[in-house]
Amino acid sequence: MEKKFKIEFTESNVQDSVVYILVAEFNLKPNILKAQIEGDGTGVMLVSIEGEEADMVKAVERLKGIGLLVNELSNHITRNHDKCFSCGACVSICPTNSFTYDPVTWEVHVNTDKCIACGACVNACSVRALSLIL
Amino acid sequence: MTKTYEQINEKIRAKKAVVYTAEEVIDLVKKKGAEKAAEEVDVVTTGTFGAMCSSGAFLNLGHASPPIRMTDIRLNDVEAYGGLAAVDTYIGATALTSDPKGGYGGAHVIEDLIAGKKIHLHAWGPGTDCYVRKDIDTYITLDDINDAYLYNPRNAYQNYSIATNTSDRTYYTYMGKLLPRMKNATFSSAGQLSPLINDPHLETIGMGTKIFFGGGEGYVVWPGTQYKTNVEEVNGVPVGGARTLALIGDMKQMDAKYVRGLDITGYGISMAVGVGVPIPILNADIMRRCAISDEEIFAQLQDYSQPVDRPAMARYSYAQLRSGSIEYEGKKIRTSSMSSYYGAKKVAAELKDWIESKEFTLNQPVLEFPKERTLKGLKERK
Repeated sequence: MEKKFKIEFTESNVQDSVVYILVAEFNLKPNILKAQIEGDGTGVMLVSIEGEEADMVKAVERLKGIGLLVNELSNHITRNHDKCFSCGACVSICPTNSFTYDPVTWEVHVNTDKCIACGACVNACSVRALSLIL
Repeated sequence: MTKTYEQINEKIRAKKAVVYTAEEVIDLVKKKGAEKAAEEVDVVTTGTFGAMCSSGAFLNLGHASPPIRMTDIRLNDVEAYGGLAAVDTYIGATALTSDPKGGYGGAHVIEDLIAGKKIHLHAWGPGTDCYVRKDIDTYITLDDINDAYLYNPRNAYQNYSIATNTSDRTYYTYMGKLLPRMKNATFSSAGQLSPLINDPHLETIGMGTKIFFGGGEGYVVWPGTQYKTNVEEVNGVPVGGARTLALIGDMKQMDAKYVRGLDITGYGISMAVGVGVPIPILNADIMRRCAISDEEIFAQLQDYSQPVDRPAMARYSYAQLRSGSIEYEGKKIRTSSMSSYYGAKKVAAELKDWIESKEFTLNQPVLEFPKERTLKGLKERK
């Protein structure tokens, strides 16, 4: 299975290697989507992790143990149905094809699982129906 | 076989009219042929729901006591025109608030009015002997004001170009966000559902045609601005922007679901409105033209990173555009629409329902629109 996580660092653990822990200790396959460290030593990493669920649960506990803030990302891209009028301006922008047209109704559907939180769609939406909550 | 408007209207009043949407009728004509289908079908409904900046609303705000001749008018801080009579104004879709980056404009005021929301009115006047007051600061709603009608000088563009970007940076245009190096392309027409694609030479559409406009009844009042006819045709339909319509309709009948303010990043404010035009099937030729499908309608790819002169790079059918990608010189370009085909389908279906069950009859135009017209550029003189 594959899950996406938001991992937040502080100055005390910014030098720990999250990727090494995930690979070497839990045989997981991490894919870093985005990472940023601020000047004060705090930082955020968005990572997609592939592997066994049991390993993932243990890995999250291990990371929390060294003081990292770990939260699973789900519904990180949200679409306001009242605002969206299904034009599809987001469809050709998204690098992972998270947005698709319904082949019958042509309503725009959002697949959050595919979303890698790049945010490219947010300002492509003219009715401001999309928000990326990280 | 020919039919008259009156014969069709009699059937509508008797609730016996046979109505198809421009999408549904494609298969029928394929199966039965245009002659047979024309005998069976009375009306074809079309629809489109896309952005058009040349939109706005005339409002009469009513006189306060003491009265004011408003010359500087703000609605939710958006500038409305102050050059009409004391309490008349026109608010254009693209008009901005005093903070131009606010992401809110005239189109949003119009949408909010239709949605029944309270709108902040702040206006100033010179103060005259007959209009002594110099300012007013209050709130209005659509119900409070005397007149509110949408008057869009240009709507329902007959086809439009496909936009892409060959440069190395992202372009933010009225055709949406265009990624570098032709990563994507956007288009705007509703293709096989679009009103002026289904009656390409305006045989049935003219001044007085009654339409679905923003969820209420509206009318075609004039050729739209930038109306032109000298555009190459394929399968009887122009391959680029050609004819347009000026439309009018009472905002008090409208539904905010079909009138939407748009904030197009890097470009500005625009308005999307649902427009549906019914086409009376007076003869087999009209039927044949209404049966045109996305495979037969073409548009041209243009490079929007070019500031002037955007030559056509290639031509694609709407079926190709709707497939999700096109190919240009071996490169795959992902495609999506700027107008809502989902909305266009809903408009056409709702108009069909009005004709079938609400005795929405068809008007014969009182004035035909130009058969030939070319567009002038703006000459700069000293």
